[in-house]
Amino acid sequence: MPTNKELSAALDIEGTVPIQSVQLDAMVVLKIVKHCREFAPSTVTGQLMGLDVNGVLEVTHSFPMPKNQESEDFEGSQYQLQMMRCLREVNVDDNSVGWYQSAHLGNFMNQSLIEHQFEFQQALNKSVLIIHDVARSSMGNLNLRALRLTPSFMKLYKEKKFTTEALAKAKLTFSNIFEELPITIRNTALLNALLFELETPNETAEISTSHLTTYKNSTLTNATKKKNKSVLTPSFDMLDLSLDPYVAKNLENLMDTIEDHQQEQGNYAYWQRSVERENKKKAAYLANRKTENVRRAQAGQAPLPNEDVDAMFKLPAEPSRLDHLLISGQIDTYCKQINQFAGPTLGKLFAAGELQK
Amino acid sequence: MMDNSSTLHLALPAVYTVASATAPVSTLAQPRAFSTSVNPLVFFSILDHYLRRNADQDRVIGTLLGVRSEDGSEVEIKGCYPVPHLETQDQVEVDMEYHRTMFDLHKQVNSKEVIVGWYATGADLNSYSALIHDFYQKEVSSFPAVHLTMDTALTNERLGVKTYISAPVGITSKADNCMFIPIPCDVKYFKAERAGLELLASAKETEDGSTTLLSDMDNLERAIIEVQKMLERVSEYVDAVLAGTKPANNTVGRYLMDTVSVVPKVDAAEFEKMFNSHLQDLLMVIYLANMTRTQLAVAKRLEKLL
Repeated sequence: MPTNKELSAALDIEGTVPIQSVQLDAMVVLKIVKHCREFAPSTVTGQLMGLDVNGVLEVTHSFPMPKNQESEDFEGSQYQLQMMRCLREVNVDDNSVGWYQSAHLGNFMNQSLIEHQFEFQQALNKSVLIIHDVARSSMGNLNLRALRLTPSFMKLYKEKKFTTEALAKAKLTFSNIFEELPITIRNTALLNALLFELETPNETAEISTSHLTTYKNSTLTNATKKKNKSVLTPSFDMLDLSLDPYVAKNLENLMDTIEDHQQEQGNYAYWQRSVERENKKKAAYLANRKTENVRRAQAGQAPLPNEDVDAMFKLPAEPSRLDHLLISGQIDTYCKQINQFAGPTLGKLFAAGELQK
Repeated sequence: MMDNSSTLHLALPAVYTVASATAPVSTLAQPRAFSTSVNPLVFFSILDHYLRRNADQDRVIGTLLGVRSEDGSEVEIKGCYPVPHLETQDQVEVDMEYHRTMFDLHKQVNSKEVIVGWYATGADLNSYSALIHDFYQKEVSSFPAVHLTMDTALTNERLGVKTYISAPVGITSKADNCMFIPIPCDVKYFKAERAGLELLASAKETEDGSTTLLSDMDNLERAIIEVQKMLERVSEYVDAVLAGTKPANNTVGRYLMDTVSVVPKVDAAEFEKMFNSHLQDLLMVIYLANMTRTQLAVAKRLEKLL
């Protein structure tokens, strides 16, 4: 797993400024996108490297992690160490600052992710998790989120105490498991030059970047391909009108989660009932004892003690509310996503309506 | 060594003749119609590597990874990693061990990508290039190794990206006797990557080269404005042609014709029906989503009260 002593030892010089935002290098963005896209729809993870400077976490490099790292734990960390050593040799910031994971339509809230991030934040206080939503990005708008566990959640998770009482005391609800940090993306000067070059039509070029092919419509563009086309022609994926698959998938996910939620609620209710039953039994027993004591007092005998009662009736332990918390969070994410999606879609619908007239 | 700017035009037709001469060397490969496509990530990585070079170094090299089409005539360069090397007056040293380790590491993640060639920064090819190329040629065995150069010094104010394969020159084949033949090179990317690229491209106009993520709504707005601009340009052009101030261009006209004919013709009543049902679906979904969120919020408050 990604926590290793070498790393934390190297990071002892940490300042005390909390991270306010995350700055990604353009290359990192592309690397994450490529890695996640190639392995979609399965979930992939990778490492982020960089530095934190005055509250801004600058992520300057990343590398993908091999899959199935749970089963071959040892090899995973071996891989990571070796990779870091190699990168150090070519002057990359060999300072781990977090990790990234791919997601589909926001389905990332689960126990293992929380655990992973918890371990990270335990080892390196300033680590961050970047979620890249492949499905949403392919709709024409890059979707990246930078998340960190909140301090109050960290504290509770450490104690493994997720009772209703503890949650209420820590004021922890599904909306503050994670804090989201704003992301900025930075291009270096040379990169800007490259982007400008890609964008300008190549009039003189014979060989270099003269054609654009995106995979999906390569057959289409081949027919209409012109010599001096610039590489970055504007794309209008955003204007795609088909909304059904997206919404349907989203609702399906939502329904699944709500089912989980219901089950969780059933568990909780069961627990509540059993607690109630035990309490009732206890009360009855106590009342019994009381009348008996009164009788004994009348007979001049010493009253029976009440201490053993607690030991006799064991209250069942409250089930962990973590699942419930996560599921609620997930439902919330889905709903928000639908809303976010619906806004532009309404706009698009009306635009199309006007167009038809 | 060869002067690329002057040979370039001459070399293009020569690809076929010279390439056929290489056939005995690379028997499996079919150098005719040899072409490459490059993922933009490769450019980005090379530039990053160049920026992180040692102070006394003026060019950097690295390995290109990618996949080949079945007959080996098309190479798709999908990734790369830097390889440290040392150039002195009379010799060049490439860290082979580093190259091997990195490749093994990459293989663990993505077993499909294999070594296809190497990259270097700087526009000129020298005899060291030939030596390094010889090494990579051995790495890729029977396929022709691809060499990609990127002019980071910006001569001619361009980041000229060029790709080459090599052909032996002379009667006896020697490692440093070779001729680099330019081959065509495309830029290729996928839909999800395109979204990322677009965002990066929007950063290039800002002063410090940084940008923030856009919400879906903002992105839609941008796209619509873009479309509007294009429409304006087209109608301006059409008006100009109609007014006779500009000569009509048949090709453009045909494209316009095609575009206009793409707009589907739907019966008004039919459309109304489709429109309304979609709208209702959407509103219903929004309503339900909001209901769910309200429920959650209520639950949240209740939990706090406990």
